Amino acid sequence: MRAPLVVLATLIAAPALAGDYSEGSNANSWGLTGEEKATFTATVTDAVCALTSDCPADCGAGERVMVLVRESDGMVIPATKNLQTGFQGPTWDLAPYCGQTVQVDGLMVGDDPKLGGRLYQVQMIKPDGGDWTKANGFTRPWEARNPDATGKGPWFRRDPHVRARLEDTGYLGLGQEADDVFIAEEY
Amino acid sequence: MNRILAAMAMTGAIGMTTGAMASEGKPIEVTGEIIDTWCYFSGVMGGPDAVVGSAHHTCAMWCAAGGIPVGMLTPDGTVYMVVKWEGNADLADGQALLDVQSHTIKAKGMAYERDGINYIFVEDVLEDQGIVNLTHEDYGVIPGFAIPDSRIEQ
Repeated sequence: MRAPLVVLATLIAAPALAGDYSEGSNANSWGLTGEEKATFTATVTDAVCALTSDCPADCGAGERVMVLVRESDGMVIPATKNLQTGFQGPTWDLAPYCGQTVQVDGLMVGDDPKLGGRLYQVQMIKPDGGDWTKANGFTRPWEARNPDATGKGPWFRRDPHVRARLEDTGYLGLGQEADDVFIAEEY
Repeated sequence: MNRILAAMAMTGAIGMTTGAMASEGKPIEVTGEIIDTWCYFSGVMGGPDAVVGSAHHTCAMWCAAGGIPVGMLTPDGTVYMVVKWEGNADLADGQALLDVQSHTIKAKGMAYERDGINYIFVEDVLEDQGIVNLTHEDYGVIPGFAIPDSRIEQ
């Protein structure tokens, strides 16, 4: 009788244990809403592939929204941010591992009840048989796509596509006159 | 006892299978604001009311250019992760969706729900209301450095 009871207790406890992926995580805290360190094994794919049968071999080569399919429970987790500070997503970090099983380390984020799941910030990636690498791979592909965006300042100040919109519709998106009024009142 | 264990094991097996199954899309017509999902859910820039609309417009463009997933926030608070836009799945290319950041959009497409997250494949934009959520009136700009000194000093 003792053995079945142990199994029963394990089964009852399993859902709670399944939700804790913090053990072994070396992720850095960012002080985010609902933040929880999490390291787990997952298959790298893109969101369109995970939802439909549209699965390019390269997961869009950095240009598709990426997800992680967690090995332990099959959960599809949106990969939303990489390790870099400054508005960079993780698509260029994850796409090279498209279709592969990797271990990731980072932060589960969000506690909005309207969001039934949570988002993931990828800080580190370890391919099967490989070493841990930082998920900071946005900048070089951006520079390759924007060779003329040189000069001082961070990438997002120099991005030509953003700059074109800002010159057209302003920082509030309401036109230059609205920016003029706002700046005159607030600064 | 064995029957109970078998039933529980079966329940677990069913749950695992469901979690690994592909989702089935449903046609949807929805109106919502195009937002940056990372700032909205992570709180990195402040509360959710401050990281939408005109206050957060420049930051939303930076995030979209950086490949952070874009969302569609509906009036009831539901957020759909946008993964296709008028047939285009390459939404992290640094250019897609820049023109509609912070806009309120009426769209139709296919909605998917997977593991608690809502996704939308936008097939057609039926109406673009532009930026109607004038949050800068209450919050200024988020982040505070969004407008550079060079513009302020003009």
